[in-house]
Amino acid sequence: MSSPIQLQTDETFVLNVGPQHPATHGVLRVKMEMNGEYIVNAETVIGYIHRMHEKMGENKTYPQYLMNLSRMDYLGALGYSHGHVLVVEKAAGIEVPERAEYIRAIMVELNRIASHLFWFGAFVMDLGGFSPLMYALQDREYILDMLEAVTGSRLTYCYFRFGGLYNDIDDDFIDAARRFIPRMRKSLIKYDKLVTGNIIFRKRLEGNALLSKETCRKYGASSAVARGSGINFDVRKNEPYSVYPDFDFDVPVYHEGDSLARYMVRMKEMEQSLRIIEQGLDKLPDGPIMPKKKPKLIKPPAGDYYQAVETARGSFGVRLVSDGTKTPYRLKLRSPTYSNMHLFDESCRGMMIMDALAFMGSLDLVIPEIDR
Amino acid sequence: MIIEKTKLAFQKLLPATEPEPPAVEDPGEEVEEEKGKKAKVKKEPRQNGVIECDYAVHGYHLDAQVAPEQLIEAVTIVDEAEFFIESITGVDWIKEGQIEVVYDFSRYDFDTCRVVIRTRVNRDNPVVPTITTIYAGANWHERETHDFFGIKFDGHPHLIPLLLPEDADFHPLLKDFKA
Amino acid sequence: MGTQNVPSSLVQFAIADKLINIGRANSLWPLTFGIACCAIEMMATGCARFDMSRFGAEVFRPSPRQSDVMIVAGTITKKMMPGIKVLYDQMPEPKWVMALGNCAISGGPFAFEGQYSIVLGADEFLPVDVYVPGCPPRPEALLQGIIELEHLISDWKRWENPEIA
Repeated sequence: MSSPIQLQTDETFVLNVGPQHPATHGVLRVKMEMNGEYIVNAETVIGYIHRMHEKMGENKTYPQYLMNLSRMDYLGALGYSHGHVLVVEKAAGIEVPERAEYIRAIMVELNRIASHLFWFGAFVMDLGGFSPLMYALQDREYILDMLEAVTGSRLTYCYFRFGGLYNDIDDDFIDAARRFIPRMRKSLIKYDKLVTGNIIFRKRLEGNALLSKETCRKYGASSAVARGSGINFDVRKNEPYSVYPDFDFDVPVYHEGDSLARYMVRMKEMEQSLRIIEQGLDKLPDGPIMPKKKPKLIKPPAGDYYQAVETARGSFGVRLVSDGTKTPYRLKLRSPTYSNMHLFDESCRGMMIMDALAFMGSLDLVIPEIDR
Repeated sequence: MIIEKTKLAFQKLLPATEPEPPAVEDPGEEVEEEKGKKAKVKKEPRQNGVIECDYAVHGYHLDAQVAPEQLIEAVTIVDEAEFFIESITGVDWIKEGQIEVVYDFSRYDFDTCRVVIRTRVNRDNPVVPTITTIYAGANWHERETHDFFGIKFDGHPHLIPLLLPEDADFHPLLKDFKA
Repeated sequence: MGTQNVPSSLVQFAIADKLINIGRANSLWPLTFGIACCAIEMMATGCARFDMSRFGAEVFRPSPRQSDVMIVAGTITKKMMPGIKVLYDQMPEPKWVMALGNCAISGGPFAFEGQYSIVLGADEFLPVDVYVPGCPPRPEALLQGIIELEHLISDWKRWENPEIA
């Protein structure tokens, strides 16, 4: 055998991980300057699905805008609608009945589990294992059936209204949810045995793509990206909103900062969401789902309003600048994946490309949310 | 409490007297006034200073308006107090001929405090210093604000379009933009 | 891609063409080109519940040079349009295009006055064969689209049309 090849450090080539690629979870382009298999520099190019949600926010009235929020992040759509609806209710001073808030919380948590299941399937598929995708999407179909019976759609819901909901849940939904919880618990044990203990999976993820707390702070990372690096930040606990103070749940935090820590955070989050759904179903009060006194035309008073909620991908914020008319003056959507993706450019220097793609998978990206 | 500490640090930087809550922030009353007596109530422009806002109504604790030259010092105060950058955006006030750049900061620990820093620049030639030297995450936020409003960030390493096509020369979120 | 009767008495290709078209229809290989929300329904169709592999189309190819049909699933922006045209040109003949979802048909919910970055439909620059409406369309609608495409390619029908029969 001849001597091993020396890497020419001054010869690099540009590899275009282009907009159409099975591992980029959407239309994302990364221009990687490579030296063999190691990344010297990476530049992310986004904007291939820029659909101008913020411009539409200025041209549409408040109720007309409700449908846009589901298209932003379609996997966890109800969490985003929740943030928008809360900020407009805060601004216009609309009271929400308690039953509506409990149902909203139950729906958002079900949606969070569905989103994490899809992420889990796609992440393991990126690493090369095709079977967990089938199992995960099958479990997700149970959740989508439940949500479809109440809201009417599988993916892009338009279920929340200003002041409450438009359709109440019935006993069928409650029965289906109660049957789903033990089944999901068994599935989580199955995923643990199938994937988490697998030696190939662990070797791919353990110790790779370390993120420090300082990097997370400088970029504004949230959700599993921050909690996998030891930062205990969850908007539901730090800045409680809606009925979350009534629920008893934990926030999983891992300190290693590698891809395996981010994976474990999301798996444990699914268990905690099941706890919240159980408590929500137990404590569900009776009552109306829309307030009695609701303004016919929503015109919040002039000023600045901000609301942050914890979605499946992180801390989603809506900044509403209103001038007292029936359309917002400026509606800014602070998307969590935008801040999470931004760390990729700086952190992937010196990594091998396969570790970089596993890192990208562990960030849980949904590209239309970055581009809005 | 971090709110008091940050507010004191801002007040050292900005003029000593705390200004009265400006007309723009008054909820509800001024709209009715405008209907009653037309054009007699003129909105006073807000002076530079820091205000403590009602969190339950507005969603943030401290609101500081600074001049563009004081921006870097104000952001350094926030960085030393361990805030994380939430977002940067712009608002086009076409009637007053100004563009406002709004910076949002928040905290990771349980001592919650949301800080909003604003600065206003002229609409014809908007130039604001960059904060990428302090917060690396401001890179994409400033590129996006430049895309949408045309604001130039002095000292930004790579100010090219982020969300619009690379050869775009229009700024969509300005109020007088026609597609 | 219809069958043409070759005017020659020596060799008749008609039956071979028919058989080849039936083969093409029953094993369409789609290109993995999910852009936005409709891509999720496309993936759900490929999975266990709404099995697309019953109709022969579960082998999604990442490379355009190995695929037959391009399922445009999602909103097309002006920044992405040159890329889609390049992908379409790279596909070898015979090729078909399916526009999945309202955005690929006509811009969908994002076509409003004042928009500056959306292409209003895939048929502005691509020859579309099948349109599947919905926002997003249900997986059953996507399967119906595949079956319609099969009818378009070959004369062989999978089952009798239930409405006419």
